[in-house]
Amino acid sequence: MPERRGLRAASARRAALVAAVLAGAAARDARATELEVDARTAAQAYQVTGPWTGSVLDRRRLTQTLGLAAYDLQGTRRVGAPSYSVALLLRLDADFGVNDRLASDQAGGETTYSGPAAAGSRYVPGLRPAPIDLVYGYVEGRDLAHGWLGFRLGRQVVSDVLGWWSFDGALVRLTTPAHVRAEVYGGFEQRGGLPLSTARYESQGVWRGSHSDFGVSGDSPRLTDYPSYQYAAPAPAFGVVAESVGLGFGHARVDYRRVYDSGVSVTQQFPDARGGYRAIDGLRLSSEKVGVAAEGDVLGRARARAGLAWDLHAARAGSAFGSVEGYLGRRVTLGADVDWFAPTFDADSIWSWFTHAGVLTTTGRVGARLSREADVAASAGARQWYTEGDPTTFAASECQAAAREGRIATANCASGGTFDASTGAARDAASQDASRATTATTDGIANASARYAWPSGLASARASLRVGARGRRVGGDVVGEKRLSGGRYTLGARTSLYDWADPERPERNATSFGYVIGVGFRPATSGALRLEWEHDMNRLVGQRFRVLALLDVWVGR
Amino acid sequence: MSRRASWWRAGARLAFGCVAAATLGVCLPRAAAQVTPPGAAGTPVAGATAARGASPAPGSERAPGLELLPPGAARSPTPSDEIFPPQSLPLRFDHKKHVQGLRVRCTSCHAAAITSDAASDRLLPAGTTCDGCHGSDHGAREGARGTGSLGRCDLCHAGAAGAGIARVVVPPPNLRFSHRLHAARNIGCGQCHGRVGEVGLATRDALPRMAGCVRCHDTIGPGQGAAKAECPTCHLTRADGRLVQAFATGPLVPPRWLRGAEHGADWIERHRAAAAEDSGFCASCHTARECADCHDGRVRPRSVHPNDYLSMHGIAARQDSPRCVSCHQEATFCADCHRRAGVARDAASGSRATGRRFHAPPGEWTAAPRGPGHHAWEAMRNLGACVSCHTERDCATCHATKGVPGGQGVNPHPPGFASACAGPLRRNPRPCLVCHASGDRHLGACR
Repeated sequence: MPERRGLRAASARRAALVAAVLAGAAARDARATELEVDARTAAQAYQVTGPWTGSVLDRRRLTQTLGLAAYDLQGTRRVGAPSYSVALLLRLDADFGVNDRLASDQAGGETTYSGPAAAGSRYVPGLRPAPIDLVYGYVEGRDLAHGWLGFRLGRQVVSDVLGWWSFDGALVRLTTPAHVRAEVYGGFEQRGGLPLSTARYESQGVWRGSHSDFGVSGDSPRLTDYPSYQYAAPAPAFGVVAESVGLGFGHARVDYRRVYDSGVSVTQQFPDARGGYRAIDGLRLSSEKVGVAAEGDVLGRARARAGLAWDLHAARAGSAFGSVEGYLGRRVTLGADVDWFAPTFDADSIWSWFTHAGVLTTTGRVGARLSREADVAASAGARQWYTEGDPTTFAASECQAAAREGRIATANCASGGTFDASTGAARDAASQDASRATTATTDGIANASARYAWPSGLASARASLRVGARGRRVGGDVVGEKRLSGGRYTLGARTSLYDWADPERPERNATSFGYVIGVGFRPATSGALRLEWEHDMNRLVGQRFRVLALLDVWVGR
Repeated sequence: MSRRASWWRAGARLAFGCVAAATLGVCLPRAAAQVTPPGAAGTPVAGATAARGASPAPGSERAPGLELLPPGAARSPTPSDEIFPPQSLPLRFDHKKHVQGLRVRCTSCHAAAITSDAASDRLLPAGTTCDGCHGSDHGAREGARGTGSLGRCDLCHAGAAGAGIARVVVPPPNLRFSHRLHAARNIGCGQCHGRVGEVGLATRDALPRMAGCVRCHDTIGPGQGAAKAECPTCHLTRADGRLVQAFATGPLVPPRWLRGAEHGADWIERHRAAAAEDSGFCASCHTARECADCHDGRVRPRSVHPNDYLSMHGIAARQDSPRCVSCHQEATFCADCHRRAGVARDAASGSRATGRRFHAPPGEWTAAPRGPGHHAWEAMRNLGACVSCHTERDCATCHATKGVPGGQGVNPHPPGFASACAGPLRRNPRPCLVCHASGDRHLGACR
């Protein structure tokens, strides 16, 4: 028996060596134009319950993505020589559950304003049962003019310190031998309500969409029925970038981007005496941001990284981060991270000018690679939330000011007596600097994760804790996946246990246990099927189920 | 009792020490020492396979230390399995004796190295290279047996005594490399291969480390030449320009010292800063589609949102962890569902639950004075969460100035806003006009 095992081991070793040789050889081939087709069909069915009983949405979703790409359109590929390619990714996201829960007298009411039921009694402006969008689609040229120039033309995604963003237009990249690269781009921001577009990349705070079915007939919604639902219109945008390139010890990048809103926008949220609404038209700023980020080596034993995104319109830092990590021995990494985030909004949004603060998160972390297969990581820290004024004493100072004017008895301040705080000394007290001093509340956060991966499987576990004045959430999950017959079959499982409590809504406190069982089948080298069954249980929803089927087909990938 | 306690203490100390040492890599075998030594010269080593590791020089009991290994070995004790797949070297060879003792030049045996333009070129000497000195005849059909003691098969070949000559298997590296270009720049062998002339059998451990490569490729100025520290300079690329990442020995992932981008167990939580700082680096391996699968995804990624996330997303949004806007446009993605479920304030009349209220009672949540449970504090802390359910109309109900329909004149602006509002008003007056009439004295002051 030992001899047989030895033979098997030797055979496996030889097979691995042969595979390595073949893989290496295959990877080195220079080829002519290459085509890739990549399609994913995802079918999901699950239910969404509202916070109150009786409100259940059926989600029966079919998401179909289709990716097409052609590389090396110029013919034979040579390293450093000009190359051209096209790539696009189309997506259909249909939900057959839209309208489905409605009674027959309200049929189609979520997407159609008119109907047998009262006009608009179920209507959700902008809701589409089967939107199609182009995630990206562009022509690209690389290494033109002896490596100096590159371009992209079409819908493309930009990811930088300013965020994840998409536009339709052109990007030109100039790479110099002096380790500096410049980019200039311009076009139109991808916006919801425009053809083949989603609202994902718009700035926050504005609800926009197509009004094509508004005001077209007597039983369609009037143009002013939903004054907060803004008209989608092309949004001109441009940006410039400068960054270092080709330096392993560090990198730095500076970004500037400006986006404009255009077209009609209703401003007045309630009708005036004549029933009219005011609106504004024309080109106006949507967002203007500048960002800088850098990363580098510190004495060969640590790395440091920092970034800042500054909203020029709101004149505030939308986000900032910094981190440093040091290497203790060959296996252990120690790090500290700080992250600042303050919501910023489209310049069309009123929330840009509402008093609001950012969130500061500070954590320390440790990671250890125990072996080639196993690693663990843990982090812990604090998240601070800020307010202008102390929530615990603010009302008392208002009340005492009102009491001095005799509008309320001082004794009633302690018992929560009410008065009009928008006038007189109470209003003045609320606006005084002393009353608006910045006050912080702190949440504790902690994460831990571990992973063990071997050639035919993966086991991992993670746990997280969020605790503070804003509630508590603690839990974790364990995941296992095993590939059989060289990856032809896959078995997977995930189980989780979470507990949460929200002091604002204690009736929503719950403990949840859930598990997922999945099987996969790969009938060919260019296709895979995966089925998953999820079963969650908590006292709020009882039992909740979700099924997911994924079919991937690809050619040339 | 005290003896038992001392045993416990000792055991605990031992366990703690082992865990700490294992974590720090002290009591685990050094990666560089994970060898199957082919044995000292003259000792039969049938079937020896130097899959990895450095070979002790003849007469030495120790594998070469860092001082003999290539530059960068301090950071990467062993070369990457993905770049340099495991080899089978059933050989005995003494570089030290040949190079230092016999003064044989590297190119005497590895002549092709200085003209090689591809990493896949085979640069190991053929057996016939040895024949001139050893008196063997590798060209002979029946075998290469020599006549003298130097020509014996088992002098060099492990297993030659009985089981025949085991084959040397050296898979080509998954790399783009030109020995010729490096040699032309007067870069000596040792600059990449370390002090290979002082070891016995040169194994994978004498192969270059990436940390060593970037020592030169990172320099600024003429010393660098045309080869910058960009990934495709050395790594194999796909047609779309991304690196080839899937290898028989495992996936290609960045070492921790490279841009601080070790894809460890907590990478899903940490990758944001790396991507924000240099997404081009990420794009060396990842497509926009991979990003979109999560950040604009339509299938919930369980690595981000665990099981039953629908039930707990409310409190997660209150804690803004994970950050909702990383993937969602709140006014549409979140609010559309909230409108359908009747949670949003402007949900259609037929979807709204009558007599139900999401927040605390109005006396606490909206009415003055501003107690600890007032919505103003929640809005200041986490305004994004408000946007996931509320529209401008909801806020303008009270915050618009008196005189504007619906306005109660509750000022939502931060202190000092009046002195800073001119610029925003000029660039985009739209939000101002939601709450202020065009002839409003506040707007006049701003102008």
